Amino acid sequence: MNGFAVFARKEAREILRTWRIWVLPGILVFFALIGPVLARFTPEIVGAVAGNQLGGFTLPTPTYLDAYAQWVKNLSQIALFALIIIYGSIVSAESRSGTAVLVLTKPVSRASFVIAKVAVHSVFLATLVVIGTLLTWGLTAVVFGTAPGSALWSAALVWLVLGVLFIALMTLLSVLIGSAAGAAGAGLGAYALVSIAAIWKPLERYSPAGLATQPASLAAGKDVAVLWPVLTSLVLAVALVALAAWAFRRRDL
Amino acid sequence: MNAAIQTTALTKTYGDKRALDAVDLVVEEGSVFGFLGPNGAGKTTMLRLLTGLACPTSGSVQILGHDVASAGNAVRAEVGFLPDVPGFYDWMTAEELLRFAGGLFGIERRVLDGRVEMLLGLAGLSGVTKKVGGYSRGMKQRLGVAQALVNAPKLLLLDEPTSALDPMGRKDLLDMLTSLRGRTTVFFSTHILDDVERVCDTVAILDRGRVVAQAPIDELKARYGVQKVVVEVTGGADELAAEIGRQTWATAVARGANGAIEVTVADVGAAQRGIPAIVAARQLGLSRLEAGEMGLEEVFVELVGGEQR
Repeated sequence: MNGFAVFARKEAREILRTWRIWVLPGILVFFALIGPVLARFTPEIVGAVAGNQLGGFTLPTPTYLDAYAQWVKNLSQIALFALIIIYGSIVSAESRSGTAVLVLTKPVSRASFVIAKVAVHSVFLATLVVIGTLLTWGLTAVVFGTAPGSALWSAALVWLVLGVLFIALMTLLSVLIGSAAGAAGAGLGAYALVSIAAIWKPLERYSPAGLATQPASLAAGKDVAVLWPVLTSLVLAVALVALAAWAFRRRDL
Repeated sequence: MNAAIQTTALTKTYGDKRALDAVDLVVEEGSVFGFLGPNGAGKTTMLRLLTGLACPTSGSVQILGHDVASAGNAVRAEVGFLPDVPGFYDWMTAEELLRFAGGLFGIERRVLDGRVEMLLGLAGLSGVTKKVGGYSRGMKQRLGVAQALVNAPKLLLLDEPTSALDPMGRKDLLDMLTSLRGRTTVFFSTHILDDVERVCDTVAILDRGRVVAQAPIDELKARYGVQKVVVEVTGGADELAAEIGRQTWATAVARGANGAIEVTVADVGAAQRGIPAIVAARQLGLSRLEAGEMGLEEVFVELVGGEQR
């Protein structure tokens, strides 16, 4: 096994044996389980809380699409914020603790170090999204009696591309900014920029900004063209990782 | 003999501060080389440049015939490194850490099994099952030495390797380094002069980023060392010191601890004959007369200067 594979295996074992196995999976599983139930019982909950204050206003009867919308909204906001905060130290934590020195004085290149991290954590995120979507899908079928899969899965997989893009971005920011909080702040700023950029239709149609809004449209069962945003996001993710590897190579440890 | 390490005009600056200033260094293969210097002299910076962890501002580093800047994995495969404060994955055990380190070198499993067992024994960590996060600083230092040896390196680079060890651990490590002489080139930085005198055959002294001396220890002591005589008498030391100072064989006289007279001499034999005669003529009691060579510590102090100490 070469240095890349050994280091990638270490990353995977580190996920399984540290806090990483609890935080992001815990958040995603929690929202995957609670989303369909909340969607199904929102009218009853609102009615119970508001009492007579609603007057003649009645909430529409929820459908499975409301459960899907809950899942995608939670992915796009809470899960993405958590991801940005967690991965703010993906590289800098190893530089600070001295473990990067332990690894990089062995036959492992700095590019391998960075790429292995992005690859393993992207697979980890993909696994979590698949598990979470399966849970939401199954629970939606139980609660609503019907749950066609295409809208949910297309929305979740398109969001996954955004998630991978942010893992790549946080890797670069973690190389450039030694402070985890500083990198996370910059990541949240980037998220705000992407969300604002999506307001302008050409950017939404052709750039990664589209991934900020399109998963919600897909989850609502709308027909949305996602090819360009997905392609440009993947290209940008690769470019960010290459930039992170280059910057890390030039950095004194 | 080939050079295991050769630096040419190696310079590293951080902003306005020149951490290393045009360092030319040659470390021969198979030697145990001590890299001495006071705190802040640039020893750790030097090791970071040798390992490729930092890039030089100017100059070059050759390790085992390869240029560090371009050779990459080819150099790292032959080198073992212990940083001054080794960092480990806290969630691993010592055995897992050594297997991980060995895996990064691509050592095949059968070889690694035996080597891990041997190194755990060497580090005194056999049978220790708790995770590295719970280790004392000394245990981490010993584990650091073990991981630096996992690839049976041709060149072993150690940054202050004995700083966190107790006396027994320190002795064991120094004995181990001595046993490597001739097989592995050992380059270690330290400010502990006794460690250098015990195990090194060659030494370089670094001061404020510059190598102020580099030579075999005996040659260094002969070059900078002078002989001195220490005298202690029961009384009248001040007058005696003044009279000794007037002798032709005495080049300098200073007062040491407990009223001792420290005489730097040009001819130790003449001093050994002359001092008792002067003491007897003054009818003083002679309680100590000791002649000896200047040690590495005095050489170090002379070269580096007193202001940092």
